Amino acid sequence: MNISAPDTEEALAGEVARAHAAREPLAIEGRGTKRAMLRPVQAARTLSTRNLTGITLYRPTELMIRARAGTSIPEIEAALAENNQQFVAEPPDLRVLFGADEAATLGGVVSANLSGPRRIMWGAMRDHVLGIRAVTGEGAIFRSGGRVLKNVTGLDLCKLLSGAHGTLGVLTEVTLKVLPAAEATGTLAIRVPDVATGVAALSAALGSPYGVSGAALLMEGHDALGMDGPVAIARIEDFAESVAYRLGRLRADLAAHGEISQMDGAPARSIWRAVRDAEPLGAAPEDAIWRLSVAPSEAARATESLRLAFGAKLMLDWGGGLIWVAGPAREQAHGAVMQAAAAAGGTFTLFRAPASLAASVPVLPEEPLPLAAIARRVKATLDPGGVLNPGRMRV
Amino acid sequence: MQTSFTAEQLRDPDTAESNRILRTCVHCGMCTATCPTFLLLGDELDSPRGRIYLIKDMLENDRPASELEVRHVDRCLSCLSCMTTCPSGVNYMHLVDHARRHIEDTYVRPWPERMLRAVLVRVLPNPKLFRLSLRAASLARPLGKLIPGQSMLAQRLRGMLALAPNRLPTVSPAQEPQVHHADGVRRGRVGLLTGCAQKVLDPSINEATIRLLTRMGIEVVITPGQGCCGALTHHMGAHERGMAAARANIQAWSAEIAGQGLDAIVVNASGCGTTIKDYGFMFREEPDAADAAAVAGLAMDITEVLEKFAYAPTREKPGLTVAYHSACSLQHGQQITALPKQLLTRAGFTVKEPAEGHICCGSAGTYNILQPVIAGQLRARKLENINRTRADVIAAGNIGCMTQLAGDALPVVHTVQLLDWMAGGPKPKPLDRHA
Amino acid sequence: MISLPAPKPEVLARRDAILADLARLLPADAVIGETLRLRPYETDGLSAYRQIPLAVVLPRTTQEVASVLRYCNANGIRVVPRGAGTSLSGGALPLADAVVIGLMRMNRIREINLEDRYAIVEAGVTNIGITKAVEGDGFFYAPDPSSQLACMIGGNVMMNSGGAHCLKYGVTANNLLGLTFVTIEGEIIEIGGRHLDSAGYDWLGLITGSEGQLGMVTEVTVRILRGPEGARAMLAAFDSVEVAGAAVDAIIGSGIIPVALEFMDKPCIHACEAFAHAGYPLDAEAMLIIEVEGSIAEQDMLLDRIRGICARFKPTSMKVAESAEQSAAIWKGRKGAFGAVGRISPDYLCMDGTIPTGELPHVLKRIGEMSVQYGLAVANVFHAGDGNLHPLIMFDANDAESFHKAEAFGADILTLCVEVGGCLTGEHGVGVEKRDLMTKQFTAPELDLQRAVKSAFDPEWLLNTAKVFPLAGNPKIAA
Repeated sequence: MNISAPDTEEALAGEVARAHAAREPLAIEGRGTKRAMLRPVQAARTLSTRNLTGITLYRPTELMIRARAGTSIPEIEAALAENNQQFVAEPPDLRVLFGADEAATLGGVVSANLSGPRRIMWGAMRDHVLGIRAVTGEGAIFRSGGRVLKNVTGLDLCKLLSGAHGTLGVLTEVTLKVLPAAEATGTLAIRVPDVATGVAALSAALGSPYGVSGAALLMEGHDALGMDGPVAIARIEDFAESVAYRLGRLRADLAAHGEISQMDGAPARSIWRAVRDAEPLGAAPEDAIWRLSVAPSEAARATESLRLAFGAKLMLDWGGGLIWVAGPAREQAHGAVMQAAAAAGGTFTLFRAPASLAASVPVLPEEPLPLAAIARRVKATLDPGGVLNPGRMRV
Repeated sequence: MQTSFTAEQLRDPDTAESNRILRTCVHCGMCTATCPTFLLLGDELDSPRGRIYLIKDMLENDRPASELEVRHVDRCLSCLSCMTTCPSGVNYMHLVDHARRHIEDTYVRPWPERMLRAVLVRVLPNPKLFRLSLRAASLARPLGKLIPGQSMLAQRLRGMLALAPNRLPTVSPAQEPQVHHADGVRRGRVGLLTGCAQKVLDPSINEATIRLLTRMGIEVVITPGQGCCGALTHHMGAHERGMAAARANIQAWSAEIAGQGLDAIVVNASGCGTTIKDYGFMFREEPDAADAAAVAGLAMDITEVLEKFAYAPTREKPGLTVAYHSACSLQHGQQITALPKQLLTRAGFTVKEPAEGHICCGSAGTYNILQPVIAGQLRARKLENINRTRADVIAAGNIGCMTQLAGDALPVVHTVQLLDWMAGGPKPKPLDRHA
Repeated sequence: MISLPAPKPEVLARRDAILADLARLLPADAVIGETLRLRPYETDGLSAYRQIPLAVVLPRTTQEVASVLRYCNANGIRVVPRGAGTSLSGGALPLADAVVIGLMRMNRIREINLEDRYAIVEAGVTNIGITKAVEGDGFFYAPDPSSQLACMIGGNVMMNSGGAHCLKYGVTANNLLGLTFVTIEGEIIEIGGRHLDSAGYDWLGLITGSEGQLGMVTEVTVRILRGPEGARAMLAAFDSVEVAGAAVDAIIGSGIIPVALEFMDKPCIHACEAFAHAGYPLDAEAMLIIEVEGSIAEQDMLLDRIRGICARFKPTSMKVAESAEQSAAIWKGRKGAFGAVGRISPDYLCMDGTIPTGELPHVLKRIGEMSVQYGLAVANVFHAGDGNLHPLIMFDANDAESFHKAEAFGADILTLCVEVGGCLTGEHGVGVEKRDLMTKQFTAPELDLQRAVKSAFDPEWLLNTAKVFPLAGNPKIAA
C-alpha cells in the first residue's frame, strides 16, 4: 500500500492539495487500526497522521489538553494520569476487536466519535472536543473552537468533523476537555433473568440521585463477577466516602431487581475496561459487529428480534441504549439489524465487517432526502474534489 | 433603556416618574415568563415588556391612546407578577397606572363599553347600589344562558351574571361605624377597612376579623367616613374618582390617628391593601401628602397584624388540608408570601401550595367582568392546579379571588376565617356544606 | 453602531402583498403587520440595537413554521427566528425586510419519559418549564442560563446556551437527543431521536449553536437527569479579585469539580444584594459562589475540603448556606445579576468572552484599567470554573457618546480575551453584537469556510442574515 505520513501539518496539507488538484482519492487514517470499520475506502494512496505526534499544551487546572492528531491514546492517558486526570468519554481500546497491533490515535478516536461507558453520564467524545485544527479536502488548514471550556463562537465545525470519519477534513490537532480521575470506583452487579429486567434495573440506577457513571448488561455474566447468565452492572466513581455511601444506597434501592453483589477497586475498574472494549460481547474473529443506539426501553424488543433472526451475541451499555451485536457477516443478519434499529426508532452502525459485506450494504441508516441533499452540499464545501475517504460512510 | 422625552415633557411630574421607571428597565425579558397573559396569548404585546414598550412609545410621542394600546393595556391584569420577577426593580404598577390615566384622558371607548365602565365605577364602590344590583342580577341569573352571541358585551353580561351569588348574605351591623372593644386587657388599637364590595358579598370576613382581633385584646375601630379604598376605580383609570375615595379614607383615619391613635390600619382584602399602602405615592403631589403617607405607613394586611400580635390557636388540629391561594395583590403587590402559610400551619392546617402559585386566578378587580375570556381561562388553569393538591378547602386573602374561585369542587374561605375558627371562633360556613 | 444589510427594495415594495399572503398561510391572529404593533418586536435583550421588521408571525405548529419558511424562500424574503427575545447578543434583532418568526406560542410539552430520561418539548417552552415539568419526580434539565425563567429551549438550542451549572453538566449541546428541524425550503427533518449519538454526521451538534443560520428548530428532545440528593452553596469573600481567581485555580487543581463556581466583584455584589437579600458580603472586593451536591454528609465533606482550600487564600469571610431557602436566595442574586445592574446603571452591555482560567488575574486587571481609561464603570460576574466572563459595562443610552464608548470598551475586552487564548463568546452567541469582531478570532479563509457551510443549508442567505458573520464577505448581501 502506498502510505504517506507527513510529519508536519503543512506537509500534510500539501499532500491533500496535490491530491485535490489531481482528483486522486486518499484513504485518511491515523495508524489504520479501524480500517475494518464502516465501508472500505477505494483509494490507491493512504495519507496518515501517524507522524503528527506530541502533546502541545496541557493545563491541568484549566482542564484541557491539546495534542497532535497522531498522538497515541496511551501516551495521552499516561500524561493525564500523572496529573490524576483522565479522558472524560472513556474511549474504547479496539486493538483486540480490530486485530490491530498498535494503539489508536487521538485523531482516529475523535474522527470516529468513540465513547465508552462513561458516555451515559458525562457525554460523548465529541462533547469534549474544545477545538480542532484540520485540513480541508482542498488542502486548506483551518481551526474551529479553541482551548477554553465554553465557546460558541461561529459554527461548530468541531462537532461536524467529530464522527465524520475523515470524510470532511483531516484532523491535525485536537484540544480536549479533561477531568480529574475519580478517587474511587465501585460497582454493583445484579443478576437478572432477562434483558427487560436488566434494563429496568439500569434505568432505576440511572434514575437514582447517586450519579451512576456506567450502566451495562452482560449477557453471559463475567468471570470476575462469579456470575453467569445476564448481569446488570452499575458503576459509581467519586471520592471514596461517596462511593461507599452511594453504593450502599443504590444497593438498597435496586434490591428488588435481583441478587446483588458489590465490587471495588482494581476488579471494578478492570470489568469496566472490558465493557469499554466490548470484550464481554464475545465476538468471534469472523463475526461482523454492529452497534445500535436506541432508547433503553426499546432494547429488550430489539435484542430479542436479533436473537431470533441470527442468534446474535449481545452486550448492552449506556443503560441499555447502546446495543453491541455480533453475528455472521451476512446480509440476512445485517438486514435484521437494520430492521431492529428502525423498529426501535434508533440508529445502527456496521462497526466491523469484512469488505465483502461492508461494501454491499448501507453501513449507516439512510438519511432523509432533504438531509442527504444538505450532506452532499456540505461535503462539496469541505471536500469539493471528493478526495477524502471516498465511500467510507456511504456509497 | 433609552428614552426620548423632551425637557418640556419631563416637567410634568407624572411623565418624569414614568421616564425614571422606563430608564430602570433593561429589556431583559424576565417579566414575560411570569405574565399570565403572555403565557396564554404568546404575543410580546401581551407581556409586561411589550406593554412597557407600547406605553413608552405612546407617552414619548404624546400620542392619544389608540385602540391598540387600549387593547393590550386593558388585557393587563395588574397582578404585578412582573414586579416580583423583575431584577431591575421596574415599578410597572406606577407606569401602567399612568398609562391607564392617559387612556381615560385621551381615548373614547365605544359606547357599550363606556356604559359598562360608568356603571362599574359607580356601583361597585357603593355598597348600597352594589347590593341592589346584585339582587337584580341574581334574579336575572337564569336569563344569562339566553344571552346570545360571542360579542364582548354578550360575554361580559353572561360573565357578570355568573359571578353574582345565588343568595345575598344579610347585612351585618358589625361592619357599621363603631368601636369593637378588646376582650380583657387592651393590647392595641387598630382601624379596620370594612371595604365596599366585600362588605356586601361576604360580611363574615369582617366579622371573623373583628372577633379574632378583639379576642386577642385588640380594639377595632370602624371609623365613620371611610369607604372604598379607591383601587377599583383607580385601576380603571378613573383617576379623580379614585383619588376622592382615597382622600375620604385619609381624612377619616387621620382624624382617628390624631385622636386616640392607631397601631395599624387593618386591611383584609389584599387588593385594597396594595392601594392603601401606595397612598403615599398617589398623593405625593397633593397638599395632604403627609397625611396620606402616614396612613399608608400604618396600613397592614390582616396576616401582618396577627403576626405582630402573636396569633396563637386554641383548638385541636382540625385535620384539614388547605390549598393556599396567594392573591396577586398580597404576593406581588405587598410581597407577603410566607406569612399566611406560616399562620395557617401554626393554626394546625396542612398547607399545600398549588403549582403556578405566582399566576393570577383572573379575578383582578373588575378584570373578570371586563375580560371574561382570559379571566375564564385563568380561572380554569388555577382550579386545575388547586385541585391537583387534593386539599379540602381553598384559603385566600382577597375577596376578588374568593369570588372568582367559588363554585367549583372546593369551598373557598378567607384565611382569617380559618384562623379565627382555630382560635375559638365559629367554623366558617362554607366548610359546613363540605365537611 | 452596527450596520445592517440594505433591505431588498423589491421585498419592501411588496409589503402589503406579503402580509396578505402570510395571513392566508396562518390563522388571523398569527400575523402582525402594523408598525405600532411591530415596534415591541424591534429589539431583544440587547436593546441598544433596534429595527422594526416587515412582519411578525406567531405560528402554533411545525407545519405553520414550515409553510412560512417555504413561502419566504420562494419569495426571497429574509427570516429572523425569535424565541423569548432574551438574547444578549442581538440574536433576534429584526431586519427591515425580514419576517420575524416567533415561537412563543409553541409552548407545549409533548412527552416526558422518565424511564428513558428524555422530554420532548416544543421550541417555545421555557428552559425552567422543562425542569418544572419533571422536578416533581426528582428530575431536571441541566443547562441553566441566568435567563432560564424566560428564555425558551428553541433559543437555547440556537445559541447553545450554558449556565452556572454547566461546569459539571455541560451546555445545551451536551444535553440534547433530537430536534425537529425545518429548512429554509420548508422541509421538516427529524434530527437524532430518543437515543444517544446518531450514526453519520453530527447534524445535532452542528445545528446547536448555529444562531438560526442553518434552519429553525420547532421541537427538541432533551435529556433529563435525576437530581442529586441535595445541593448547597457557600460564599467565600476575598479582598482582591486576583486572590479570588487564585482560589478558583486551587479548587479545580485539587480534583474537586464543584457543580458551580461563580465569581462576582464588588459592584455586582452590591447590585445583586439589593435585589436578592442573600447576605452577600458587602465589604468584599470579590466573592465566589461555590455549590456542591450529594447527601448532607457528602456536602459537608466537600464543603470542608473547599473551605480548607479557600482558607489558604485568607478569605475575608466564608458562609455556608444553612437552608434550601438560603441557597435559593444566593442563586436568586446570581441569576438576577444582569438585571440587578439595572438598579445601579440605566443601561449596560453584557460581555461574554471566555479566557483560559489561568489568565483571570491578568484579564481582570486589564479590564479595570480600561474602565478607568474609558470612564465607564464595569461590574464583573462570571462562571469562574470555565473562565466565561461577563463584564457588565455600564453606560447611559440617552447619551450617544456614552454608548459609543461602551461599544469600544466591549470590543477591547473581547479582543483581549482572544489575545490571551480565549474566545469572543462562551454562551451568549455572536449575534449582531460581536459579528464584526469575528475577524479577531478567525482568519478570512476560516470565516469563508463557515459561510460556505451556511450556504449549504441556506443558499440564498435568508436565515438570520446579518448575524454571526461580518457583512463584508457575505454572499447575497448588499451592505
